[in-house]
Amino acid sequence: MIRTILAVALMCFGMFSVCVSALGLFRFQCVLNRIHAAAVTDTLGVLGLMLGLVLLCGWTVMTVKICIIIVFMWLAGPVVTHLVAKMELLTERNIDAEAPHEEGELLL
Amino acid sequence: MKNKSLLHRFVDWVNGDVADDRPGNIRTVGSLPEAKPPKEKPEHTDPLRHLNRQIAAYRVSAVLVCVSLMLALTYTVLCLPTYNDPSAPTNNEVSQRYVEQGMEETGAVNTVAGMILDYRAFDTFGESTVLFTATAAVLFITLSKHTKEWTERGPFADSSKDPILQVVGKILLPMIFVYGIYVVLNGHLSPGGGFSGGAVLGGGLILASSMFGQKKMVRVLSANVTTGLSVACLLAYAAMKGYSFFTGANHVGWEIPKGTPGDILSSGFILPLNICVGIIVACTMFSFYSLFSQVEEE
Amino acid sequence: MIYFEFLLLIFLIFCAVGTVFTRNLLSSIIVFMAFSAIMSVIWLLLESPDLAITEAAVGAGVDTILFLVTLKRIHALKGTEKDEK
Repeated sequence: MIRTILAVALMCFGMFSVCVSALGLFRFQCVLNRIHAAAVTDTLGVLGLMLGLVLLCGWTVMTVKICIIIVFMWLAGPVVTHLVAKMELLTERNIDAEAPHEEGELLL
Repeated sequence: MKNKSLLHRFVDWVNGDVADDRPGNIRTVGSLPEAKPPKEKPEHTDPLRHLNRQIAAYRVSAVLVCVSLMLALTYTVLCLPTYNDPSAPTNNEVSQRYVEQGMEETGAVNTVAGMILDYRAFDTFGESTVLFTATAAVLFITLSKHTKEWTERGPFADSSKDPILQVVGKILLPMIFVYGIYVVLNGHLSPGGGFSGGAVLGGGLILASSMFGQKKMVRVLSANVTTGLSVACLLAYAAMKGYSFFTGANHVGWEIPKGTPGDILSSGFILPLNICVGIIVACTMFSFYSLFSQVEEE
Repeated sequence: MIYFEFLLLIFLIFCAVGTVFTRNLLSSIIVFMAFSAIMSVIWLLLESPDLAITEAAVGAGVDTILFLVTLKRIHALKGTEKDEK
């Protein structure tokens, strides 16, 4: 019983994180802000959802699979975000107006 | 232009030699917001009016064709038998036989694999041939004399030197490849098979080529190698399936042992056929990517 | 569960319409990727995991990459125009 409640609470937290990321994706103006909102909360949301699923399933083979999914998402997501942000830095023409920075601060 | 025959005008239209400034042209759509087509002026000279009339006729005919097609398709859908209707023509003895005796006759636990690689293997053969033909067509178009050299420049070429991508990719690539190979090899036991596993393998190859750079990957998997692999797999598929049809249909007696259902070495030729289809799909995906992403030399 | 399927189907229709009517080609590709992801979930709900794997790998993964590479090839992406260095 407690396990189910805990699982539901975790999954609700994950859903909340994903909803916040979607909201941030639409509300922010600049691309880098949007990436920040989407990526950071997405990672946390995946963790909450998957831990909730682990608690619901119990200790089976499924647990290992879900843990592998978490590792995969945590490795792949930030790298993709990094690459998208780098592309934006390299291709945006008025990056100085979008992200004010010191000279030589945006070293890649 | 008016003196030309209909065929010549059609050829010119296909080549894009006429009416290049037509709004909605592929070169002006969607690239940049300021690249919108210019508004038509209210007063115009004679040829412009002719062109405008052509455009209006084109739009009206496009709408007419779309609406008539939509009506015909909707009517066809309305004539279909209702979903789950027991008297529908799809609910005949064929599917019943597949479900009931598929495992004994093909030896595959996964009934779908038994269906597409044993009962209807020629369909799958045709699909693989379609993939191969598409690769050949892309090769014809892109592999001209000017694009022999693999050059990388511009801001997108830097991603192959990104240390973060390299480190994480070295962790992720084995996982992706193991998953793809697992899906291919277990096609007759669990959901999956040649197409799914081959697509996963192709995605892994694309990730590898964006990690290590085009040049290094092409040294291993050039267009010649992928084409050769595809041809070899297609020929092997044809030979195996021809043999199995011949012996199965004529009761020659040299049938392939089915094995016990559930083992990985079972169900006759389904496992090697799956491997063949997987290699074809992966090679097609990767060669599409590498052919499209090579940079033209000016 | 049937309501979830209805929700997914409505999303699917929206994505299909959005793919056609988006002016920007890049946005159109992204919407098409969402279409493929939703379609793969629907295949899973229709109890055909074979197709779900294929749709997720081909539709959401490889197809998108091929479209993006094609856009880069015809210089329709930001930063790949010919006048830029």
